Amino acid sequence: MTGSRPRWAKLGGCVVALAFCVAFPTLFPGSGVLNIALLTLMYVALASSWNILGGFAGYISLGASAFFGIGAYSMGLILEHLIHMSGGYGPFALVPLAGLIAAVVAIPLGWVALRTRHAVFATATIAIMFVFQLLATNLSSITGGSAGLGYPVPTWTGNFYDKPFYFAMLVVALIAVIIAWMVRRSGVGLGLLAIRDDEDKAEAIGVPTWSYKLVAFVLSAFVAGMVGAVYGYYTTYIYPQFVVDPLISIGAALMAFLGGSGTLVGPVLGALILEPAQLELGFHVNGQIYLILYGAVFLFVILLMPRGIVPSVGALIDSRRARRHGAPLAAPPQQPPTAEAVAQ
Amino acid sequence: MNLSLLFGALVLGLLTGGVYGVMASGLSLTFGVMRIINVGHAALVITGAFISYEVFRHLHLDPFAGLVITMPLMFVIGVVLEVLFIRPLKTDREELSVLVTWALALALEGVLGYFFGTDLVQTTVSYGNSTFVVGGVHIAYVYIYGFLLAVAAMAALAALLYRTNLGAAIRATMLNRQAAQLIGIDVERVSAISFGIGAALAGVGGTVYGIVNAFNPDSHYDLIGHLLVIVVLGGVGSMRGAFLAALLIICIQDITQVMISPDWADLSFFVVLTIMLVVRPQGFFGVRVREAT
Amino acid sequence: MLATITCGAASLAIAACGGGSSGSSPGTPSGGGGGGGGGSAASGGSGKGPIVIGASISQTGDFSSDGNFVKQAYQLWADQVNAQGGLLGRKVEMKFVNDASSTQQVVTNYQTLISSDHANLVFGPFSSLLTIPSSEIASRYGYAFVEPAGGSQQVFTRGLHNVFEAEPQAGYKDMTVFGHWLLSLPAGQRPKTAAYVSEQDPFIGPEVEALKSVLQAGGVKTVYDQTYPIENPDYSPLALAISNTKADVAALGVNIPDGTAFTKDFIQQNYNPKAVIYANGPDQGTSWVNKVGQNNLNGMTAPIAWLPQLSTYGNKQMVAGYLKKYGGNAAGMSGDVAEAYSVGQVIQQAVEAAHSVSNAAIIKQLHSMSFKTVQGNFGFNKLGEPTGSLFLGQWVNHKWVRVYPPAAAQAKPIYPKPAWGQG
Repeated sequence: MTGSRPRWAKLGGCVVALAFCVAFPTLFPGSGVLNIALLTLMYVALASSWNILGGFAGYISLGASAFFGIGAYSMGLILEHLIHMSGGYGPFALVPLAGLIAAVVAIPLGWVALRTRHAVFATATIAIMFVFQLLATNLSSITGGSAGLGYPVPTWTGNFYDKPFYFAMLVVALIAVIIAWMVRRSGVGLGLLAIRDDEDKAEAIGVPTWSYKLVAFVLSAFVAGMVGAVYGYYTTYIYPQFVVDPLISIGAALMAFLGGSGTLVGPVLGALILEPAQLELGFHVNGQIYLILYGAVFLFVILLMPRGIVPSVGALIDSRRARRHGAPLAAPPQQPPTAEAVAQ
Repeated sequence: MNLSLLFGALVLGLLTGGVYGVMASGLSLTFGVMRIINVGHAALVITGAFISYEVFRHLHLDPFAGLVITMPLMFVIGVVLEVLFIRPLKTDREELSVLVTWALALALEGVLGYFFGTDLVQTTVSYGNSTFVVGGVHIAYVYIYGFLLAVAAMAALAALLYRTNLGAAIRATMLNRQAAQLIGIDVERVSAISFGIGAALAGVGGTVYGIVNAFNPDSHYDLIGHLLVIVVLGGVGSMRGAFLAALLIICIQDITQVMISPDWADLSFFVVLTIMLVVRPQGFFGVRVREAT
Repeated sequence: MLATITCGAASLAIAACGGGSSGSSPGTPSGGGGGGGGGSAASGGSGKGPIVIGASISQTGDFSSDGNFVKQAYQLWADQVNAQGGLLGRKVEMKFVNDASSTQQVVTNYQTLISSDHANLVFGPFSSLLTIPSSEIASRYGYAFVEPAGGSQQVFTRGLHNVFEAEPQAGYKDMTVFGHWLLSLPAGQRPKTAAYVSEQDPFIGPEVEALKSVLQAGGVKTVYDQTYPIENPDYSPLALAISNTKADVAALGVNIPDGTAFTKDFIQQNYNPKAVIYANGPDQGTSWVNKVGQNNLNGMTAPIAWLPQLSTYGNKQMVAGYLKKYGGNAAGMSGDVAEAYSVGQVIQQAVEAAHSVSNAAIIKQLHSMSFKTVQGNFGFNKLGEPTGSLFLGQWVNHKWVRVYPPAAAQAKPIYPKPAWGQG
């Protein structure tokens, strides 16, 4: 009953949100704010694309930063070795290409990694990430190795500098959300959800599980690659350990979980809350307390809302509404009977 | 081809591999029993290293003897963490455990940094540099002690698992959590104890790690990737597998480091993993886990 | 249904408002958004309020050990300036933020310090890794960027006019002094072979490369030359391979953890090179001595710019102040402290010469003046590379002293290095 809101309301909401995002740099011209907004959009895109495989199908990938890094390095290397462009709007044209390269690389990797499930899959994706970090460092004659890789530097100065990057990131984030939305509405989306519930059963009823998972894996990589390219150009200088950074993948997964993995809005919401909070917290809270606080907030949220904010709040609203209408609770929170009772 | 160098790398690989084996088997145990991925395991290793360092510094107890304090303390820390943070996870355990243990790792790093600072420290024992010669290669006694300790810890773990009632309960829980529950095993208690044992094993590994390496609170980032790969290679949930995988992979890594190039040594890790995933996705000793619903 | 897009719009708005309020709270958006040019930077020193100096510090993560020293030194400098009446008569106020050793956070930090918090000046972070991206930000706003420890070549070759490394000599040339010393030995005594190993670090790698080209040109044969990843948890096999070459010279591009690990392994392998140099380590005071052991010290060398007992500009005051504020002993002080303190000294002299905290005026002074620091006197070339030179430090009779070049030597260098345990 909650989903039956009229179509125009949803559409209106979309338009308002988009208009707000477009107007944001004008409303808050300070570059400090814009920088945070830009990094937040980056995680909106990463968390939404992580969600396609991790949320819909329940395959926890911690390798997003491999594709993020491939995107950043592809763009940087193309600019360094193939197409010489001066800094400006031109290099943005290469962003989709960087995403495409990441997606193509993802095909064989997904082919190997998706032979496994659960913890093994998560570990395999971590391994993929480390391999690319290693390659970026060791193939120093091509990538510049640990000394890093520079991009052409745009001549924009002052507070204007962040604006083009903000809009580029906004476009990528929109693409990520639209891809997630389209997947969710398609047969592939249904198949992925079936895999999450019970992969063996899904396979038994004829869901082409393997190709669906691969599609999800490759789409995630495509978005991550584009995000990496924009980010690399934004910082103008990249290092292996900072673009193929485990913290990026883990951040994306955490945000999706926080908001509610498997939902469309969840990852967006998670990123909108966590990334600004993290940057602000890092900025204002000094030292070790930052780590302790960060960990503590996390534990608190997960233990209180294990399914994430969107589903938990949704359930709360449902139950309120049900109570108001005098109807019985739709679905009481299922908790398996603890073994304690049996054993003691 | 330099044979004595090859031999030296092999010996070193086996000896340090044993220590990694103990760390990894603790990780494998918690995975097997609880179906959780503990990415905070390496942070526990570093916690163990710090405890052992402090015991050594303040009580002037040899770090190996200091294990009588380090291990029980780590066990208690493990049990407390499990009860407070892992037990409350009722749904989507496996997925959520990644997040919870990651948060735990960060919080542990913060707590360690708060108490011990971020300077690098090392447990410098008096016999740290004494060596003996085998086949033209100098071998440090600390590596031998570390390896013997690792073997002893593995033997104790095996005795616990196969000779005691608790061990039987742990194995039953690993096999099938629900069935174990049905036959009256208190799986929550078993889980807490297993997590404690995992932490204690991390403490053993940390003690040796702290003697051989300088470390600080963020050293856990260097370890966790390797430990996870070892566990997957050995077959998740198999402690014997984890131990043997550690021996094998660290040997391969050390030989690559010496004979080819240190830059590519880490890659050998992942090459072996990839081959394994293609040929035998369940690991050396793993059984293919079917969806438990 | 869980996901409704209306919800998304609302959440976007909420989060954006959150971001907005947090950004606008520290200062009013003066300067009107800046849009146009770098000229809008830090509008001169008209006010009488405190001069706010922002700095991003690695309080957690990979550089946390060094980051802490940098922070201590910046704060100490500010305290001492204030005790003497401040800068241009204004109080100096340090604003520290934590970058967790991450490039992403360091960019956000400097951007916020400059454009939202309106810090008058900024000091650099630790390491070349963090210096490169953050110096770009500073450049974009026309801020002077004097930094303590970003000495890789890329720091200077990016065409920025605002970045200056506050050390006597650009970091990437540090180890060459060791080569010059060895080649100054009588021909019969000179080492014949050398082994080079270095962590994959944009800073240390080039140092070892520069040393290698000096020694190779002087006829010293390279018998081992490898790099290894920073995240290497086990150095023994590598040390074994180096020991096996029995090279006369061991040149180690290391930091403290790997430096101590190599030393231990060399001792265990009974490998006694005639000369050994560490990129970092032997100069780090007690934290080094405790890890390698007293009787292994003699003969160890490292490039140095600073010693606690030097009578360089302000050194006595710094050392005394440091020990009073943070405890410990002079021998235990890290070189990071002197490097970061020099940043303060350089800025102080530039500001006083410019009679202003206008960054444009300060940058002009930085390019033209010569500066007196605890690390000696030096100026900067067009790229911001310092134009002074370094010394070779060595442990002689359990004392850490300058041994080369001869003019500045406090003791005669030891060569060959005594066997491990014999020092």
